[in-house]
Amino acid sequence: MSQISSYRNGDAPRGVAPRSQPHAKVSPAVDVFENAEEVRIVADVPGVAAGAIDIRVENGTLTIEAKRVEPADGVPRALAREYDEADFVRSFRIPAGIDTANVVGEAKNGTLVVKLPKAAEAKPRKIAVRSS
Amino acid sequence: MLTGWRDFDQTFRAFDLMQHELDRVFGPWALPSLFVERARRSARTSWPSINAFETKEAFVYTAEVPGLGEGDVSVLVEDESLVLRGERKSDAPPGYETHMRERAPYAFSRKLPLPGRVDAEGVTATMKDGILTVTLPKSKETLPRQIAVKAV
Repeated sequence: MSQISSYRNGDAPRGVAPRSQPHAKVSPAVDVFENAEEVRIVADVPGVAAGAIDIRVENGTLTIEAKRVEPADGVPRALAREYDEADFVRSFRIPAGIDTANVVGEAKNGTLVVKLPKAAEAKPRKIAVRSS
Repeated sequence: MLTGWRDFDQTFRAFDLMQHELDRVFGPWALPSLFVERARRSARTSWPSINAFETKEAFVYTAEVPGLGEGDVSVLVEDESLVLRGERKSDAPPGYETHMRERAPYAFSRKLPLPGRVDAEGVTATMKDGILTVTLPKSKETLPRQIAVKAV
């Protein structure tokens, strides 16, 4: 019963943090990988549909912006809130040798994968050695 | 090898640190970085982050589980609690060099007390865009009932 009344009072149940700021800019957790072909950035953007993700390349900077919005007609009465609507934003300086025209992004299960292919001249090349 | 690539991780990191610093200086209240957010959360609460809602007919719990597919989580109702378990295995692409790793693989188990009796048979769970939604219909006995008043 005490459990129920604490919910009714609008307090968070045990182990639940008070709600964060709504519409806050949040820096998403990312991984950055690289192989001979590409640089790959993986970002966690839970609750964001592919259509709400914006990837921009300008002035040598890659910016990922993903907006998590709640339904326009509102959500039911909240008993506890640990996360909110959020604007996931993160920028990276693009290193030299990236073919910026062919950057692609894919979203799946709330994870965004951005692939930055290396320009042909930046890829390692094997030089054949000929015997004379 | 191209020297430009060698200090690649430093490039990324430096830019990132700068951004965190800017966040910290110019907008500590308006722009909480995940840095701060995460430190605060790890001190106070468990993972994953959860929202709980109540509708007329059900309790609805949602959890942030990015990178998990439907086979990676289990949902259990026991002892008037909702138990969420899941695991994200390492999704580092094989053969790649790692420059930055913030999205660690993780396993979690979180037990949440339910604020009322639920119809365990009718519980449903769905996954969409890295959010797990569990809908627990309220037990019929606890739903509001209209009582007809009869004249005697």
